[in-house]
Amino acid sequence: MKVCIFEDKTFTNFYPLSLTRPVFELKCGYFTLRERIQNHLEADKICYFMRDYLAPWFEKHYGLPANKIEQIKNDDMLFVNGRWLIQKDELELEGEEEVGLCEGAILYIRVKKETVEACWSEDLQEILTKLSKRLKNKKMESTLIKYPWDLINHNASQIKKDFIFLGKVGIEGGFSSGSFIVGDQNKVFIAPTAEIEPLVVLNTKSGPIFIDEEAKVLALTRIEGPCYIGRDSQVKGNIREGTHIGPSCRVGGGEVEETIIHGFTNKYHEGFIGHSYLGEWVNIGGLTTTSDLKNDYSGVQVYIDGMLQDSGQTKVGSFIGDHSKMGIGTFLNTGSMVGVGSNVVTGGGITPKYIPSFCWYLSQKFYKGSGLKRTIDMAREVMKRRGVELSPEGEKVLEEVFKITERQRKESIAKSRR
Amino acid sequence: MLLEEKVKDIIIQVTKVRPEEITNEARLVQDLGVDSFATVELVAAFEAEFDIDIPAEDAEKNDTVGKVINYIRQKVEEKIKK
Repeated sequence: MKVCIFEDKTFTNFYPLSLTRPVFELKCGYFTLRERIQNHLEADKICYFMRDYLAPWFEKHYGLPANKIEQIKNDDMLFVNGRWLIQKDELELEGEEEVGLCEGAILYIRVKKETVEACWSEDLQEILTKLSKRLKNKKMESTLIKYPWDLINHNASQIKKDFIFLGKVGIEGGFSSGSFIVGDQNKVFIAPTAEIEPLVVLNTKSGPIFIDEEAKVLALTRIEGPCYIGRDSQVKGNIREGTHIGPSCRVGGGEVEETIIHGFTNKYHEGFIGHSYLGEWVNIGGLTTTSDLKNDYSGVQVYIDGMLQDSGQTKVGSFIGDHSKMGIGTFLNTGSMVGVGSNVVTGGGITPKYIPSFCWYLSQKFYKGSGLKRTIDMAREVMKRRGVELSPEGEKVLEEVFKITERQRKESIAKSRR
Repeated sequence: MLLEEKVKDIIIQVTKVRPEEITNEARLVQDLGVDSFATVELVAAFEAEFDIDIPAEDAEKNDTVGKVINYIRQKVEEKIKK
């Protein structure tokens, strides 16, 4: 049985985070959605399908096959929707041919190779559509991530489950004598090469804390579980429950709560980040703060695919695309979307809810900024400082994102000039 | 107002320097203190005033007031020819 993890047509719901990665590369708990599916299914053969412009980058970055239609020809297949926040025992590799549906969307399709052949097309979505009409449908109650705030809402519970899944407990790394664990000591894992400086408090009363390899927790830090601190990250300040900090981040000062920081991102100074998802290579200037709750406690409206809609949530922070930079003292409105490669310098005041990709927002107006080439050069320079190369494939993704987001950028700039 | 005067007027509005400092030889960065933010504002103002499109890459190449004036004149002439 071969597994195929696919991205469906709802990828625009996850902009700007999904502009530069397939939806199944988004994180919730310790893992990406893809990793979670792979962990649970333990298949030997897996292939991946996503938007075409992401495939070369995905193959280069992960060394995994992307969009190779011939790979689904000669095997019994289990197609799995990459948005699925799959849980233990929800799906078996082997079984009857069937289509699992959740709220009208395909969760999975289990199918024999002869049936795939009978429904063949060079387009995966066409194959899936044909199969879903041909095979027995099974309605399921499960969790299909629909919007970026769903990742945040499920983060804390997933961190708790993932701690149990990994089964790693104990202090294997450096733990200074002046630091303390408040709560159950068996809900802490400190990896062998991680280091905890003096005067650190790890509070596990609400959930576990996992500090990964080469991570460093600086003095006078409080971490509240459930929380995951990724490889090579440095943290200080007040890291509150429900937070995932990915690899090679510098996070500290102020407060971070119920937030996912994907990786290679800096928020090293004072300011609050809450109920937010920060992409990679984001820089958050000092005193930058996200609002995650409206003063009237009403539902937060968020721009999804260019349309303002009610999230139905009381707490929604900001969603910031890769390579964007927030200047000092940026105050991000409740439910803000900041694109890829944007530069925000507000000069006081609250930002608009939507800042397009590759845009500069200066003193309450939108501008073209320094353009695509300079933004890519800057991205290359920023990545080099962490020993990471911007590949030609990665550069092509940014070029494609620039084209995809051109209309919205021009509209915002035109509005500013009226 | 002539094109040259309009360009200089915009530079004065954005940079707030004294009019007598805006000579054709004045260097935008070193003499008039035009930083990256002011560059972006100038580009936006020129585009709006002259109804032209200025690629971000071109902004860096025109580093004196005189070069800016010549560039904008060229862009306006190109637009008229179309």
